[in-house]
Amino acid sequence: MSSENGSAPMGSGTAVKTAEAVLEVHDIHTYYGSIHALKGISLEVRAGEIVTLLGANGAGKTTTLRSINGLNRPRSGSIKFEGRDITQTPAHEIVRRGIAQSPEGRRLFPRMTVVENLEMGAFQRNDKAGIKEDMERVFGLFPRLAERKTQNAGTMSGGEQQMCAIGRALMARPKLLLLDEPSLGLAPIFVEKIFEIVKTINDEGVAILLVEQNALMALDHADRGYVLETGRIVLSDSAEALKTNEQVRKTYLGES
Amino acid sequence: MVAFFIWLAINFVKTPADTTNVFFIGLSNGCVYALVALGYTLVYGILELINFAHGDVFMLGGMISVSIAQSFGLSAGDAMLWPLVVVVLLLSMVACGAINTTIEAVAYRPLRSAPRLAPLITAIGVSFILEDVGLIWKGPNYVNFPDVMPHSNLVSFAGVNVQWDKVIMLSITVPVLLLLLYLVQETRQGKAMRATAQDMDASAIMGIDVNRTISFTFLIAGTLAGAAGLLYSLYFQTVRFDQGFQLGLIAFTAAVLGGIGNLPGAVLGALVIGLIQAFNEGLQWHAPGSDWTQSIVFSILILILVFRPEGLLGERTPEGG
Ligand SMILES: Nc1ncnc2c1ncn2[C@@H]1O[C@H](COP(=O)(O)OP(=O)(O)OP(=O)(O)O)[C@@H](O)[C@H]1O
Ligand SMILES: [Mg+2]
Repeated sequence: MSSENGSAPMGSGTAVKTAEAVLEVHDIHTYYGSIHALKGISLEVRAGEIVTLLGANGAGKTTTLRSINGLNRPRSGSIKFEGRDITQTPAHEIVRRGIAQSPEGRRLFPRMTVVENLEMGAFQRNDKAGIKEDMERVFGLFPRLAERKTQNAGTMSGGEQQMCAIGRALMARPKLLLLDEPSLGLAPIFVEKIFEIVKTINDEGVAILLVEQNALMALDHADRGYVLETGRIVLSDSAEALKTNEQVRKTYLGES
Repeated sequence: MVAFFIWLAINFVKTPADTTNVFFIGLSNGCVYALVALGYTLVYGILELINFAHGDVFMLGGMISVSIAQSFGLSAGDAMLWPLVVVVLLLSMVACGAINTTIEAVAYRPLRSAPRLAPLITAIGVSFILEDVGLIWKGPNYVNFPDVMPHSNLVSFAGVNVQWDKVIMLSITVPVLLLLLYLVQETRQGKAMRATAQDMDASAIMGIDVNRTISFTFLIAGTLAGAAGLLYSLYFQTVRFDQGFQLGLIAFTAAVLGGIGNLPGAVLGALVIGLIQAFNEGLQWHAPGSDWTQSIVFSILILILVFRPEGLLGERTPEGG
């Protein structure tokens, strides 16, 4: 997995965009009981950006996403979305505001069909026509899902489930999409495909916060990145710069 | 299984009228079991909690029904009898729904992320508390519900009697069951329940208010127990503080038999147990008799669990549920 990429990568990700921040996380501390998982995380995602969150296992990437979407409330610090404070907002309200997630481990509803899962993604919406339109759009992005409309999600392959989880998040018509390791456990061909689709979604104007083990792929597609280590952010820079950063290359891009 | 049906057939040939009558007794008992069994299965489906207190909510439903019925002065000749019974039914449903929702909010919600055993023990505790409430409220003896059920025959043909009381039981239970199925399968709230049952966190990030959905589930379960409470007292005319344990056990068994978490399964399990009980206690030719009912019911349960652990209609899920 060594990188020979010195020149500009595919797509954007060169210049740091100067749009305003959609998501502002300020110094959050999140706990699991007495375990201090996040020790002061601050980050932001600006309109139209893909931001990636890198870090070793247990660094706190998933916890950061769970703090943002309301599943694990931070004990201190603040989270703002589109300028409004959502630190204390319950999870089911946050998705209404426009943050959707494809969670770690996909977390589909195993005994519902693909279509039902996608419908669940649009649970908080009332615009029937729009939902139908988005469903078609998801099937357009993932033709594989269209072939499996009536299959129970629990019986699909890992890759198919991952597509379904992303599709389900899109059904919320989010302004910000949180993706937790969308390429985990997928064959290389699927990984490529997933990243392409992430890019497509982003081009349609959705800001993306992407957690990835596959740092190289993530940095190739992201505008900026943060590196987490045991609950703290130790590095933050443009994706370009991170890719050439010595520490990052050593730790995450498998170079010695 | 085959032997059972042969035995049933022989009974039917020997005493066709009796066998048919016994069938209707089983059916109406099964209806009451079904209403209570659904409460176990609904709550288990969403929280994986065996709500031991559920049978006692049913018992309180009976007591509430008795109290209201007495204060209304229900009597068999009253022209307003059936409208009043419906009012008692609704009040009992509302009261039990409220009781069950409160139990969840007070006793189970704070333990949502605690180890499985904690809410289970709490449920047993709540069961004892409710039983004591019943004991203190109505005393240790049977309390009589006004005998208003008509026992005359609606249909009588060649010794087969379909009595009014059975018909009334069915005509209250069946619509309630259909309404419930509609609610869970077709409505938005039902969708939220099914999703929450499968994955709470995932449901929350879909925009489902998980707490409210769980409250709603307990509300429905309590409402069904309230309906069962009235029907039981209407049918058997007695209420006692410990009836919840007895019937709760049968209903829970029915839920497991049908596949816990599965709604049609709970109804099927309840009808099966109701019928087996009635056949066992009511038939003439080589029926083991009522002393054996519990043993038979639980033997069947054990056999089912050995050969089909997911129950009659339960799905084989990866989690083993
Ligand atoms: N439910 C939990 N209870 C207790 N501790 C937890 C829980 N979930 C996570 N942790 C701890 O919090 C820390 C951060 O975990 P987190 O899941 O956020 O890591 P991660 O960066 O997503 O790791 P991975 O790459 O393995 O997914 C870890 O030390 C982990 O052990
Ligand atoms: Mg993680």
